[in-house]
Amino acid sequence: MKTQWHALTKFAAAVVMAASFGAHMCSTARADDDIWLQLQKDVFGTRLIQEDDGTVAIDAPVRAEDAAVVPITIRVSPTVKGPLKAMWLIIDKNPAPVALAITFGPAAGQDGGWRQFATRVRMDSYSNVHAVVETADGALHMKKVFVKASGGCSAPAPKDSDRADDDLGKTLVKNFEPADHNAAFREAQIMIKHPNNNGMQMDPLTRNYVPARFIREVKVMRGADLVFTAMTSFSISTNPNFRFTYDNAKDSTLDVTSVDTDETTFVGRSKQVAAIQ
Amino acid sequence: MCSPDQLRSPGTTSECETNAVAHVLGRCSCRRTLLKSALAFTLAPLIGRAPALASTTLALSEIAPGIFVHQGRYELQSPENRGDMSNASVIIGNDAVAVIDTLGSAQIGRELRAAIKAITDKPIRYVINTHMHPDHLFGNVAFKDDNPAFVGHHKLRRGLEARSQSYMASSKDMLGDDAFAGSEIIYPTMSVDDTLTLDLGGRSLVCEAQKTAHTDNDLIITDSKTDTAFFGDLLFSGHIPTLDGSLRGWLALIDQLEGRKVARVVPGHGPHAMQLPGAILPEKQYWSVVAADVRKFIKDGKDLMEATKTAGQSERPNWALFDQYHVRNVTAAFAELEWE
Ligand SMILES: [Zn+2]
Ligand SMILES: [Zn+2]
Repeated sequence: MKTQWHALTKFAAAVVMAASFGAHMCSTARADDDIWLQLQKDVFGTRLIQEDDGTVAIDAPVRAEDAAVVPITIRVSPTVKGPLKAMWLIIDKNPAPVALAITFGPAAGQDGGWRQFATRVRMDSYSNVHAVVETADGALHMKKVFVKASGGCSAPAPKDSDRADDDLGKTLVKNFEPADHNAAFREAQIMIKHPNNNGMQMDPLTRNYVPARFIREVKVMRGADLVFTAMTSFSISTNPNFRFTYDNAKDSTLDVTSVDTDETTFVGRSKQVAAIQ
Repeated sequence: MCSPDQLRSPGTTSECETNAVAHVLGRCSCRRTLLKSALAFTLAPLIGRAPALASTTLALSEIAPGIFVHQGRYELQSPENRGDMSNASVIIGNDAVAVIDTLGSAQIGRELRAAIKAITDKPIRYVINTHMHPDHLFGNVAFKDDNPAFVGHHKLRRGLEARSQSYMASSKDMLGDDAFAGSEIIYPTMSVDDTLTLDLGGRSLVCEAQKTAHTDNDLIITDSKTDTAFFGDLLFSGHIPTLDGSLRGWLALIDQLEGRKVARVVPGHGPHAMQLPGAILPEKQYWSVVAADVRKFIKDGKDLMEATKTAGQSERPNWALFDQYHVRNVTAAFAELEWE
């Protein structure tokens, strides 16, 4: 686990750097393969990664209609046994490529069906999207898809500027009752009201770029058990949104804590909502 | 393939457009640029005037005394349409002229100006933008030398400043270097806080700033003499509506607008002029269906990706450019309504 966190720290630095370069970084084009090889080295070092072995699947639109809000779902096959250790979502050509780096805890569940993790991301250009999963045995499994989208990173997200900062950090957590009460997993959704500024939008008053301010960590607990901790970047869309499966136990109440880059902490507790239709 | 007709005729949704869409976010297709110049060469001798494709006169129709409207095509920005894909209006008073929206490039803006100059030599004193979108505003620069007041919603400047980079980049990408040349963003110099009345001599224009709907900077303009209302992109007809503001805000505004007593209304995209309330009912239905479908998805615990696949699909036959904008609309609607 230590190497992962080291790589992430490096990425945090890269994120801040990218933010100050802004538009310049946005237009930089490099060969796709070279980009990935470099990213793989930065995040995973020399560790072996198995690609397309049926462990991981990604659902993403072929063409993202709104590059500022691209829905991505990572799924892990029911054939995978035991708990998952970690998961990464990497958008190769974004200024902050590692959108998500997740460490799972005991309440994430074991096996017995599809496990999934969905979020919405910004995409800066046509790009490969990589999902990497670390299974219980420590092996890394990867899947990539190509998504056509561009302009998400500099596209200003708030559609109603006056209301963008209303309820900053308001956290809604929906806990979905599974249709089958004995299912291995249930689903929950986290919504955090936050502009997730990527530092690339101009402040009309100062004519300067808005400094990056985004959710950098999300921690989800069920009682005393960790569901997951995610390190996040501004590749995650405005009003960060996560939807995931976790262990289906009797008391499934979740407590969510998130921290942004201004070191402000936001909390939320799950509410039971109706069963999934 | 694109036939010359498809390239030129207004409102066609051809395969040509589909190709353009596929290239929307990347470089514009070289093939099409080549095709265009090939046409210029082969057709020139036949037609007998070399720059035939570039020097067509921009059409302006008089819809009421002293009010002229140009109807844009139902298309995305492209090198062929050069940003001529929204409606622009001209109001001529005894003393002065006002232009409402200026189309989507410097080049097409100059053609609009030339067309205005062909019907009146009165000074152009006001250039009014109904909202921030590039297809309504990139032609502003063509009027710079007239020294008009550039009039807009009090939030227009902020909206434009926050988006200037992405607007410039995406317009350049989609229009291509030739059609984009000279385009720049001209910011408003006169701001509408609530309402503002502009006197043109013998008639005045009342500009009303709206709450967030299509965007957060929508303006409605009404001509006092003919009772003609200019709704900008608060009214789409034929061309699918697009959401860049608030769906709830827009639906609430539609409820007010459909009861307005005006002689006629000019949409931002659609025919030259229309009658209320009929004009706005299809748009109201579209947004009502999208809102209802999306709310049902949210209530049933479905996610955004599922919603984008089926929500609002019953509206498909009613609109041009449905494939180009609908999923984006559903995405925006979902991201707004899930917070209810
Ligand atoms: Zn518009
Ligand atoms: Zn428009």
